[in-house]
Amino acid sequence: MVEALGRWAGRKARDYSYALGFFFLVLRETALFVRRRQVAFRVLVQQILFTGVEALNIVSLVALSIGAVIIVEGGTILPRFGQTSLMYSILIVVITRELGPILTAFIIIARSGTAIATELGNMVVSHEVEAYVSIGISPISYLVVPRVLGVTISMMALTIYFNFFGLFGSYLVSQLIKPVPVLEYFRALLQALQPRDLISTLVKSFVFGVIASVVATFQGFKVGSSVTEIPRAAIKAVGQGFVLCFLADALITLISYV
Amino acid sequence: MADAAATLIKLQDVTVRFDGRDVLHDVNLSFPAGRSTVIMGPSGSGKSTLLKTVAGLIPPDSGKVFFRGRDMLQLTESGMKELRKASGFIFQDGALWENKTLMENLALPLRVHFPQMPPAEVQRRVVKALEQTGLLESADLRPAGLSGGEKKIASVLRALITEPAILFMDEPTLSIDHTMEGRVTQMIADVKARGCAILAVTHNARLTSTLADRLVILDAGTVRETGDFDQVKRSRDERTREILSEVLGEIASYDTDLLALLEEQDKNRPHQATEGGQRPGPGTTERTP
Repeated sequence: MVEALGRWAGRKARDYSYALGFFFLVLRETALFVRRRQVAFRVLVQQILFTGVEALNIVSLVALSIGAVIIVEGGTILPRFGQTSLMYSILIVVITRELGPILTAFIIIARSGTAIATELGNMVVSHEVEAYVSIGISPISYLVVPRVLGVTISMMALTIYFNFFGLFGSYLVSQLIKPVPVLEYFRALLQALQPRDLISTLVKSFVFGVIASVVATFQGFKVGSSVTEIPRAAIKAVGQGFVLCFLADALITLISYV
Repeated sequence: MADAAATLIKLQDVTVRFDGRDVLHDVNLSFPAGRSTVIMGPSGSGKSTLLKTVAGLIPPDSGKVFFRGRDMLQLTESGMKELRKASGFIFQDGALWENKTLMENLALPLRVHFPQMPPAEVQRRVVKALEQTGLLESADLRPAGLSGGEKKIASVLRALITEPAILFMDEPTLSIDHTMEGRVTQMIADVKARGCAILAVTHNARLTSTLADRLVILDAGTVRETGDFDQVKRSRDERTREILSEVLGEIASYDTDLLALLEEQDKNRPHQATEGGQRPGPGTTERTP
């Protein structure tokens, strides 16, 4: 029993140290990305197109729906307490600080996280990664760094886009409940918007982008020699990505209020 | 010093473990420059692992691999680039990059190793290689659109496009038809004639007799025997002969003698060996019983 526990702890310690080593290697290669003049810029552009541009539709839809839900719920509950004026603050806090970054992260992890883990896993199994190494291309700088940068840039851009569309969706629905002139509506929103709301949304989207991409690439590379490991890698990329994003979200929110 | 120059790659007490099991155990080998070595052994004996360890794709768990006298694990970034530029690797399953066209698959090694080469020159070289092998019409196809034999030829072209001094091959004729096998064997014979050092894992008797200056017999992760082709194929060691008969499946199917078969095929060798000028003289045997 004790021996099995010891073996388990040893295995876990090895796994974590390997993951930590992978993370620092990615950080180092990211810092050297521009200097290396490798042929990976195309991969970066493709990643931004896939993760950012192709996700615009789903992000728009989710953001509009969330904005609508908040205005309907708030518009129903707040007047009962005579706190209608809090609606704008609630919209800003809930959408820009919390739901914007975390829901965008969920969408990207579900779409791009699984795609990255699956693609890299397939490349490992079919020895394409070894083929890159054999011609002197570092898999970290050629395959991982462009994906990390692409996902992180897309995550930040999409979060801003989500925030805008969420607030816009709330405006559309507010017109059905209690019409307000567009200028007055957005002026009130801007008044409620604090610099720390912006900082919070940017920091969170950056951290979530790094988490989603590093976890997905790490899981992709952990695939050994069997194709049956690939779906498992994709599931882990999603599961671990969600959990780590939740933890990071809680931590950043905590820090921002301290 | 002269020894280090003649020895291209050297393995010293190399052990490689997967999941706690020794796939290679205490392997000591030298691969001379300009000569071709064929690694043979039963399935699961560690041939592919040995080849990838020699090529610097798998780091050993213990022991050292030296490239031109320098420890591979201690190579600087430029030293590693030198190794990669000097070598080409043909993978068992081709390992072409599925998200790139055939043209891009062949162009990438040139763009990596010759960053100053103008794109037009890269294109010219790739087109020339594809033309010579009749694959030009498939240049814009991705690997999924190629047949198995075409993929194999493409992977040989990719490994050779930078004109490497060392060629690593893992079963280059596996799973392809007789015609394609002939074309791949001819391409490899041409490379050998150019003086390229070749390290190959193969079960193919025809390729072995075309190619091998030296044989390494691997058994359960250890080197059973190594030496010049002519010496090893005449080995009196029972296990070595058993392995050679197992590996060269034709022996069983043609119900003939191992030596007779290899010598029959060996009759075709002199002109190829002369072209390459790589055939060692007698008395150069290095034997590891």
